[in-house]
Amino acid sequence: MSNPQWQTPEARRRLARRHASERRFKALGLGAIVLSMAFLVLLLVIMLKNGLGGLDWSFLTGSDSTSPDMAGVWGAAKGSLLTMFVTLVLAFPMGVLAAIYLEEFAPKNKWIDLVEVSINNLAAVPSIIFGLLGLAVFINTLHLPRSSPVVGGLTLALMTMPVIVISGRNAIKAVPPSIREAAYGIGASKVQTTFHHVLPLALPGILTGTIIGMARALGETAPLLMIGMRAFVATPPGGITDPSSVLPMQIFLWSDEIDKGFVQNTSAAIIVLLVFLLAMNGLAIYLRNKFEVRW
Amino acid sequence: MILTGILLAVVGLGLVGWFVGRGRARLLYDGRGSMHSMPTYHGWHLALWIVVPALVVWTAWSAIQPGLVEGALMADPVAATLPADAMHRSAILAEAHMLANDPGASVFNAQSQALAAPLRAIVTRFSLIGALLVAIVAFAGGAYGFTRIRARFEARTQVERAVMGVLLLASLIAILTTFGIVASLVFEAGLFFKDVSPIAFLTGTHWSPGNARGADIAENFGAVPLFWGTIYIGAIIAMLVAIPLGLMSAVYLTQYASRSMRKWLKPILEILAGIPTVVYGYFAALTVAPLVRDFAASIGMQNPSTESALAAGLVMGVMIIPFVSSMADDALAAVPRAMSDGSLALGATRSETIKKVLLPAALPGIVAGVMLAISRAIGETMIVVMAAGAAANLSANPFASMTTVTFQIVQLLTGDQEFNSPKTLSAFALGLILFIVTLVLNIIALRVVKRFREAYE
Repeated sequence: MSNPQWQTPEARRRLARRHASERRFKALGLGAIVLSMAFLVLLLVIMLKNGLGGLDWSFLTGSDSTSPDMAGVWGAAKGSLLTMFVTLVLAFPMGVLAAIYLEEFAPKNKWIDLVEVSINNLAAVPSIIFGLLGLAVFINTLHLPRSSPVVGGLTLALMTMPVIVISGRNAIKAVPPSIREAAYGIGASKVQTTFHHVLPLALPGILTGTIIGMARALGETAPLLMIGMRAFVATPPGGITDPSSVLPMQIFLWSDEIDKGFVQNTSAAIIVLLVFLLAMNGLAIYLRNKFEVRW
Repeated sequence: MILTGILLAVVGLGLVGWFVGRGRARLLYDGRGSMHSMPTYHGWHLALWIVVPALVVWTAWSAIQPGLVEGALMADPVAATLPADAMHRSAILAEAHMLANDPGASVFNAQSQALAAPLRAIVTRFSLIGALLVAIVAFAGGAYGFTRIRARFEARTQVERAVMGVLLLASLIAILTTFGIVASLVFEAGLFFKDVSPIAFLTGTHWSPGNARGADIAENFGAVPLFWGTIYIGAIIAMLVAIPLGLMSAVYLTQYASRSMRKWLKPILEILAGIPTVVYGYFAALTVAPLVRDFAASIGMQNPSTESALAAGLVMGVMIIPFVSSMADDALAAVPRAMSDGSLALGATRSETIKKVLLPAALPGIVAGVMLAISRAIGETMIVVMAAGAAANLSANPFASMTTVTFQIVQLLTGDQEFNSPKTLSAFALGLILFIVTLVLNIIALRVVKRFREAYE
């Protein structure tokens, strides 16, 4: 038996075919990743090529204008900051408290199931639906000032809260029971255990989730379109009830302009927005790596 | 103004109460085990008794004060000179309010000048009454809370009960939001369906809300072309891009990539998911759409439009890639290692193992991920607003301009028309359909994922 069955020419051919198919499959996988990343690179390169020339000090400090040379992003950026402030002040405490309740205290009953189901669904509801809610409730029922950061912030807070709740619950769940038992063991009450021991340990995880949720809110346009934050605002807003625009909305408005000069402005505004988002995501990753404890 | 001041004063009083309560409780301490609660809890208890009742009264008063001011102003002799016309009247009143807050404000109606001074007096009077009420309640609450400070008093239990109340309220916000969404959509859509029957809306094939007037109003609200455009762009073209690319990326990342490669590639892929949709929309309109149009012209299409279903769908697909990839990643990771090890031990190559063992085993999870991706794609707004176009076409031609549900919602609600016309109300009906469809997709997908995980645990 010097020539076993697996050494026949036919078997060798079959083996070669299978190995070739293996290589093809692997190349296909790598190709998919490379293609996806090529899109990313193409997008970034085009934005940089079009927009880098428009990034100067007067662009960063100016407000919207009908002439592309005069227009700047500071008005919109300030609107974004005010809106994000309202969102954070509302969504963060509410989200964290709700996460604590659901993870540590909630009894097992139908009501709590309903809360969980609605939180999971809210996280997946299209953002434009939140815009419709904001329009119907905050503007047409409560008569809050149209196109103001306070309405935008409220709407985005409702959208961001489920994200914070979900990441908060995961962070709280990751704190090992031994921490809680040690606290009980020295006589802490349930509330004391949660607020003095579990919450501080879960905080890095919660903050990471919050930053990611806020980054998503910062890039959101559709719901704000619904509540009318598309006004032409030539001066930066002074407070949360003044009419204002936000960065992504400014991008959208400029992209509609016919004047060629606005192509550069739009791309430059996109670069500004992406830098903000990248910084936020970078911070989230840094926090996760620095403070995350592996139990 | 005064009302805001009261609010700050209440918070200040609460702070004082906290220190007073804690200080008082400390005096009671004589030796180990002599008190039920730590002094801090007595401080919190007293502060809560000051702040909470006062805030309740404050909220109630700020709600009723405008009505009271209005009533008192109407009783004033100056108000008799106001015009009877409701719109003109409210304009003057609004300006008078502005003047009362800020004497330097510029106004159009001279009459509001005369009203400003009495109005300011009335507002001040009622604000002072409100301030007095709040102060009485705060001090009464504080006094009651103070009398309860005893060594054996279970202040901690009380405070913790209050904390639980706050926690419960916070978690009810999610239900309130869901309820608010459903209520507002159903209410406004209900008004719309009074004018247009749901059947005409769901089965009609002609969509031109701009022409909707008079008796044949229902004929212009046939939403089928919108549903078709949404499905064609979001569920067909986008998925043709996202499923192969996302799935193969996930397979490569989980099965072939080395640990360090995976550590770098995965976050880069996730950047795609973090880019705002408005940026994708601009990219689609600026770069992809002209390319698609030129391509259409080169294969012999007559007058291809810049706005095409293909451009919007392609870019949307790219946006969804990381989403599909991470869902597939989870699904593949959930398959027990023994299954793929068994296949490899029998002599199958890696790709054979993936195709014959791993993917079939992970299929339910992958399908659920795709459903979630579809639900995200059909709810996506900015890309289609910027790249897909407004024409409601029922066509299978990817180079044709096509419109979607989300595009029409934006179109119908931006611009200034009166709120209760069928045109604006139809946006809420579309929103309701979108909400229901995404909800059903999500619920089914989440259930499949859950059951699939349980099956392998």
